[in-house]
Amino acid sequence: MADPIVRIQNLKKAFGDNVVLKDIDMDVQKGEVVVILGPSGSGKSTMLRCINRLEEPTGGHIWFEDIEITSPKTNINEIRERIGMVFQSFNLFPHLTAKDNVMLAQRRVLKRSKDEAERIAEEQLRKVGLGDRIDYFPAQLSGGQQQRVAIARALAMDPHVMLFDEVTSALDPELVRGVLDVMKQLAAGGMTMLVVTHEMGFAREVATRAVFMEGGVIVEQGTPQEVFDHPKSERTQDFLGHIR
Amino acid sequence: MRTMRRSRGLQRLGALLCLMAVVALVVPLAALGIGAAGTTMTIDQTTGGLETRFTYETATAPGETVLGIDFAFPEGTDTAKATADAVTLVGLQRSNVTVETQAKGTSVKVIFSPSVEPSSTLRVVLHDVLTTYAGGKQTVSGTYTTQTGTHKLPPMTFTQGAPTVSQRIGFWLNRQPLVKTWNSVPILNAFFNPQLIAISIPILFWGWLLSIALIGVAYPVAIPIGLATAFLKMSKLAPVRWIASAYINVIRGTPLFLQIYIAFFGLPLVGIRLPDFPLGVIVLAVNSGAYLAEIFRAGIQSINKGQFEAASSLGMTYAQAMAYVIIPQTVRRVLPTMTSEFILLFKDTALLSAVGIFELMMNAKNSAANTGNVTAYTVAAVYYLMITIPLINWVGKLEQRLALSEGASGSPGTKTRKSGALEGMARMAAPVTADAGTPDDTDGR
Repeated sequence: MADPIVRIQNLKKAFGDNVVLKDIDMDVQKGEVVVILGPSGSGKSTMLRCINRLEEPTGGHIWFEDIEITSPKTNINEIRERIGMVFQSFNLFPHLTAKDNVMLAQRRVLKRSKDEAERIAEEQLRKVGLGDRIDYFPAQLSGGQQQRVAIARALAMDPHVMLFDEVTSALDPELVRGVLDVMKQLAAGGMTMLVVTHEMGFAREVATRAVFMEGGVIVEQGTPQEVFDHPKSERTQDFLGHIR
Repeated sequence: MRTMRRSRGLQRLGALLCLMAVVALVVPLAALGIGAAGTTMTIDQTTGGLETRFTYETATAPGETVLGIDFAFPEGTDTAKATADAVTLVGLQRSNVTVETQAKGTSVKVIFSPSVEPSSTLRVVLHDVLTTYAGGKQTVSGTYTTQTGTHKLPPMTFTQGAPTVSQRIGFWLNRQPLVKTWNSVPILNAFFNPQLIAISIPILFWGWLLSIALIGVAYPVAIPIGLATAFLKMSKLAPVRWIASAYINVIRGTPLFLQIYIAFFGLPLVGIRLPDFPLGVIVLAVNSGAYLAEIFRAGIQSINKGQFEAASSLGMTYAQAMAYVIIPQTVRRVLPTMTSEFILLFKDTALLSAVGIFELMMNAKNSAANTGNVTAYTVAAVYYLMITIPLINWVGKLEQRLALSEGASGSPGTKTRKSGALEGMARMAAPVTADAGTPDDTDGR
């Protein structure tokens, strides 16, 4: 097996006395789609946010493409260029149009020319089905459209890994589908993805691996069929029972 | 023969003495004859275009009885309302003379009854001669009539200043019956005296320009001070935060008036001497910088944390995230509060009048002191309002637009309340939470 694209070892994170991540070990191979499940407060999002150091781990190590991102010597901004992230609350820049949202980091971080950034922005927005909305401001778009702009914004940086943090949780049910479709396409294209979600259908259909977390530890992991249909741990069974 | 010579010598001596005596007599009586040397003409106004009192002093020559004098004033003079009285002095005998006045165009003819006797001193006072607007040296000529006929009056000169346009309007207004009625109402006269309005407008205009210049330099200087201080206040290093807090609290916690006094009277004591204008600008900028720092800090902290995270997740540095994501949103959000601060600072330029800067308030104060009437303050108020009212309206529109644009992505009600709270917070330096403040435009200074 090749070297994992993301390697997490003994990851610990505490907010003061509140220990959120106890001791996480996980390797993600290139091309994998890992779905992370678990009740709220189980540390799923925190783990995801540690991978691009939006949260500073309190212990352990994380490597991304053989660079230890938890080392103080690492320039985290360079790593973040290659790790795309999509948030539950979209976090589009409200003062910029959809196209400018997608162009900004290309121009300022990757130093792409205006023409190139514009071309890529339009292409990415077309891919997420918003070719006719490129000059709209976020406030003029629906939640689902905003979230797709956010995905396009991340993809325009040519990331090697995409992190999705409950990206459909804030959406009205009828808007969820459009976003999931984009993610399915992305998975089909071979993108390495770590997805925190409650969408079981999506997990079952797209994931190459399901990870169940609770209380800051990984309780169980395996193929979606193994975890969903034959959960070994009682807590996983309990959680899945509640979801259904 | 010798005697004769001697007597001739005596005669010559006598003639010389006589001549000396005559000269001695004539010199103090130089004003013998109307308009002769020693005649004077004085006026009681220094500006043209006003009802002026002319005092003409002369003397009649021996054997010269004067029946009347016809004064010819310069072109533009209006003598229609002129009246005259006269006094004569013969020896020590002083007597009033009845005077008949005949006004015609630019001339006034005065006829004495009884006629002025020879060798008397004569003083004629002409009241309410409306002088010409022209400035400089003016000549009064004319004729006088004696028992022997009419003679040319030697020309006399007086000097006056030309009134400004606004003074002319003021003088003109002063003569209108409607204005007189208006001014007979004490409150109208005290606050809205038409003549003083006309006169104050140009005088205060220059003060207004200076006030605008003060704020026009001070406010753009205050913005970077405020922005820098806001970042210092959010620094990770505690001592840096303390310095920023100390500056903000001292400035916000003391009156601007006091700060002006310290700068203008305190700094020279320690050898720091600056001209008034730059020093005034510095005090205003340093003062406003502290308020803007709190406005900016509250504005930056009101931007959702997710914005910074999204920028970071795209690989942007702290500086890039601030410059391209946080600050542009902050500016939009704090623009109404910044404008309110501008309005406050503009009004506060008036405090600089206390240290002798001739801005709008100082000019108004001088005019009011000179005229004993507060109309100049009313005019000053209008000058201030000419700047502040449009800005106040603009702030209102900005806030509406902001509420609309932010409300589009969420419930308009809550967002409007939040932006209002932000403004209140900035002014009160309350903890940054959405519900901590209420919209508050009142000045805390």
